[in-house]
Amino acid sequence: MNDHKDIYLIVDDEPDMCWAFQNLLAQNNILSKNALNGRQALHLIRKESFKAVFVDAKLPDIDGLDLAKKIREVSRGLRLIMVSGYFYRDDPAIRKALEEGLISDFISKPFQNQEILSVLKNIH
Amino acid sequence: MKTFVSENNLSSEVQRHRKLYTMLLDAIPSSVLMLDRDMKVISANHNFLKKSRRSTQNTIGFPLVDIFPTIILNTMNIPQQIRGVFKSGNATGGNRMSYRSPGLPMNIYYYRIFPFTWKGVVENVMLLMDDVTEQIRLSEEVQRVERHLASIIDSATDIIISTDTGGRILSWNPAVEKISGYTFPEMKGRSFIEYLPIEKQKDMHEVFTQMKNGRQSRQAEWELITKDGTTIRVSWVFSPMKDEHGNTAAIVGVGRDLTERLKLEAELLKSQKFAALGVMAGGIAHEIRNPLAICSSAAQFLQNDDISTEFRKECGEKIYTGIQRASIIIENLLRFARPSTNSHMERICLNSLVEDTIPLVHNQAKIQQIKIKITIYRKNIFISANASMLQQVLINLFLNAIQSMPDGGKIELSITRSGGDVLIRIMDTGTGILKQDIDKIFDPFYTTSPVGRGTGLGLSISYAIVKQHMGTIEVESNKDSGCTFTVRLPLL
Repeated sequence: MNDHKDIYLIVDDEPDMCWAFQNLLAQNNILSKNALNGRQALHLIRKESFKAVFVDAKLPDIDGLDLAKKIREVSRGLRLIMVSGYFYRDDPAIRKALEEGLISDFISKPFQNQEILSVLKNIH
Repeated sequence: MKTFVSENNLSSEVQRHRKLYTMLLDAIPSSVLMLDRDMKVISANHNFLKKSRRSTQNTIGFPLVDIFPTIILNTMNIPQQIRGVFKSGNATGGNRMSYRSPGLPMNIYYYRIFPFTWKGVVENVMLLMDDVTEQIRLSEEVQRVERHLASIIDSATDIIISTDTGGRILSWNPAVEKISGYTFPEMKGRSFIEYLPIEKQKDMHEVFTQMKNGRQSRQAEWELITKDGTTIRVSWVFSPMKDEHGNTAAIVGVGRDLTERLKLEAELLKSQKFAALGVMAGGIAHEIRNPLAICSSAAQFLQNDDISTEFRKECGEKIYTGIQRASIIIENLLRFARPSTNSHMERICLNSLVEDTIPLVHNQAKIQQIKIKITIYRKNIFISANASMLQQVLINLFLNAIQSMPDGGKIELSITRSGGDVLIRIMDTGTGILKQDIDKIFDPFYTTSPVGRGTGLGLSISYAIVKQHMGTIEVESNKDSGCTFTVRLPLL
């Protein structure tokens, strides 16, 4: 389904959440890396190239939307998908972020595994 | 004293006596008239002439009827009384008469008629009159004031009792009758202490001893046991009643029935709690949806047939852990939300209370990148408290701190000991409070939060709760350097 050199970044402070993502992507032959906070995420993004980033809305060191802005400064074209239990789809903050192009998609937790896969399909 | 006997015809010794007699009569504040058998005035003292605005010329030698208004003489039967004295030789008892000299306000006199007997014969009578107008006016005033004071006590809706220094009931106003069901005759002379719960009786004894030894006043919140056996929470102020030497003569207790207030407070407490829950909801939603998301993904993995036994087991474990986590969050929330109907104090462990409280605010702190640090000076700190109410105070202080740090920061909770008290200090690195606002922060409905974020009740409720725990709550702050709330509570 995907090119093997495509790697996705998962930014979530919840190790089990990373576990779920990783397994879901691995089942579809997609490689991924994890970052447990904003600092780690920025570090990885500066160092490596990712196909897209799944960002949690609330991280221990930074707010997900603030991290999105910082990522934009580092890598303008990188696709960001916010995956969060804090916001809901019609949340004004999310609508604004989508309109401004800060994030390209929003998936609320808990999600159907298929929702993640559909987003991945759209990227290609 | 003016008389019509010529001074020249009398011996010097008699003249001396006469002068002394005149001086005495003129000196006394009474009005004195001497009358002969024909009821003509033979002498009148200075005070009589002054009071009746008469002179010697139009008084001495004149009949009594010319000097006194006929109406008084007749109403009081004075001529008849005078004749009776001449006849019997006995003085009359004291009587009152009202008299108004023309152009003067009404005067009230107390009068008596005395016989002047010489060699067995009543020669003259003396009419002695004292102006008692002022005394009567004063005693009426005193009565009026007394009636007024009594009706204040009778009309008060607060309990007003007085006891002797040994605690025996001396007075008991109608409000206590209404509240307690006991009438005053039932209570009179009984020991007030009997009407308090057993555990408060020792404290009351102490108050009586303190009052006896001159302590000024003492406040307490003690139950009163009513006639039907129920207890009513009363806020008391006991003060000593001092005699003219400054010794405690009696003890006065003023008490307010707190039933209604407690009911209102409980309502307020509940609504503020729900407001706090509202603030916490965001953090809680996030925190529950995370384990739910893990469970959900794992369950979807299990729906695939082609997975290894090992992975299947792993999925099962993740689901189990996730459910446990969500359930703990919900349980904490329920513990906090459950309206606590009892307002009773009990021995509680402060350490455990803090341990139970942190998970509730932790979610909210986490989503705002706030770190919480806790330092407690020792294990097993015991205080007398209502755990649910005290938890509300801690939550309010935490939420307050969290709200003051929209861009993250640090909260430090420290518990230290200071003499017989424990100090719970909650320090934040937030926006702080402006100097001019610091006095208002404990006022109900005072808030700096935007509409919908804070009710302005958290701190005022916390203040009331801490006060109920016999403690104090203080705040120190400077704009932009965060603030520190210190709750001081007595140790057990």
